[in-house]
Amino acid sequence: MFLMMRYCLLILLLLILPVEIMAISCRAEEPVQAVSGGVSSETVSPGPDQAVPDNRSHSKHNGTGNTTEDEDFDYDDDPFKSERVTIDDPIESFNRTMHNFNDKLYFWILKPVATGYKAAVPEPARISVKNFFSNLRYPARLVSCLFQGDFAGAATETGRFAINTVWGIGGLMDPSAGKELNLQMQDTDLGETLGVYGVGHGFYIVWPFFGPSSPRDSLNFLGNQVLYPLSFLNIWYASLMTTSVETINRTSLRIGDYEALVEAAIDPYVAVRDAYAQYRMHEVRVRKAKSLFFKDNLPGDAMPDSASHPKPIP
Amino acid sequence: MKKYSIALILLTIVLICQPGFAGAPTAAVDNTVNRVLQVLRDPKMKGPSAKQAKTERLRVIYKDMFDEMEFSRRTLTRNWKKFTPAQQKEFVDLFEQVLEKAYLDKILDYSNEKVVFYKETMASDRQAEVESKVVTSSKEIPIFYRMILKDGKWKVYDVVVENVSLVQNYRTQFNDILADGTPEKLLETLRKKVQTH
Repeated sequence: MFLMMRYCLLILLLLILPVEIMAISCRAEEPVQAVSGGVSSETVSPGPDQAVPDNRSHSKHNGTGNTTEDEDFDYDDDPFKSERVTIDDPIESFNRTMHNFNDKLYFWILKPVATGYKAAVPEPARISVKNFFSNLRYPARLVSCLFQGDFAGAATETGRFAINTVWGIGGLMDPSAGKELNLQMQDTDLGETLGVYGVGHGFYIVWPFFGPSSPRDSLNFLGNQVLYPLSFLNIWYASLMTTSVETINRTSLRIGDYEALVEAAIDPYVAVRDAYAQYRMHEVRVRKAKSLFFKDNLPGDAMPDSASHPKPIP
Repeated sequence: MKKYSIALILLTIVLICQPGFAGAPTAAVDNTVNRVLQVLRDPKMKGPSAKQAKTERLRVIYKDMFDEMEFSRRTLTRNWKKFTPAQQKEFVDLFEQVLEKAYLDKILDYSNEKVVFYKETMASDRQAEVESKVVTSSKEIPIFYRMILKDGKWKVYDVVVENVSLVQNYRTQFNDILADGTPEKLLETLRKKVQTH
């Protein structure tokens, strides 16, 4: 059995190595760019320059034009400036209504049920249920990785699925994420795939039940229907039941997160909208950094990907 | 076979070379987190009656670690000029109280999760980002601290929780409120928020 595991690892390693070697050769070129670019705020060709303002996305997303830039208070030298993302909100009244509906749904129905479930079911069991459903969502993640050009990620995901299904008792355990193997889940979806290809998030929509989204990210729901094994169950309400179980289980592991954001906010609706926009933008950027097709087109920024662009100290 | 082992060596070198050095910014945050943990784990201050005492001590540590002026100004950006000096001072005070009321209970509820500092990145001579994560039994929460060097001391001016920057989040909210309201209206909203808890 361990011989089989070693063969699987060997195959994975052979798949991942060429990609890593290409990544190494790309990274070897970067310090040269950083040194020649310097810490100026001129717009230069894309590369990991520190203080290049992200003019492209800034002017695209910023509704109020920045015509009179006040240097003292606009923090143009902020190395994280390109992370200032805004999202248009043309249907704000509809969104606010939906947001209030979802908020009530969470506090009146979902949270009490999840709290009861949490009290009844011990945490290791709930984590196993989470792993099980997460394992089943492998096809969607695989297709997303492939379309994004993240072949290392696709190989990792396949390895995870194989190892977790066989040695993880049908996906209940997650041995592949352990320290020996360290194959981490590539948490991506079709919305991020479109984002990597340059499709902007469009505008903000809050769907009842599903929560914050955008036209681009709403395609996730379609894609997941096609690529999720449990949607093909014959009994019409079986899929609904499994989704409910999955949602309640996932919520029971994260009680307190939504409340933290909303209670600390002055305007909860805007807080959720902004958190959503920042979160998606960061996810797309991370996926772009891993993509073979697009990783040289990253907007200049200090930290495009926390795992792979450490700055040399001068 | 030779190409394979060379590739393996290269891979290993790449993986080992992810820098794990801890400089002054990480030391500053680590120090603060340790002081907070000391207060939270103090056996002499257990139970609900000790909450006030704990809050006092945590507040002192907070003022030491966070650069409130920088934090508050960055949430207002250009709108800062619209406030009179008295309003500015009140804004900084109120904002601190809002954050305290929102996050204090969560910090006091801490129960032995692990806090791991794993990376420090210098964005410029005076700015750095320290990456940490809180490891609970069911998940890992990435928390990044963005720091600025002022008067020889590293202070936090932004906290990024799960890749959502707090300063940016509040900036969007304040921009919206100030787009069709005066500074006084924002202060009034903050005062009400502080009172209702």
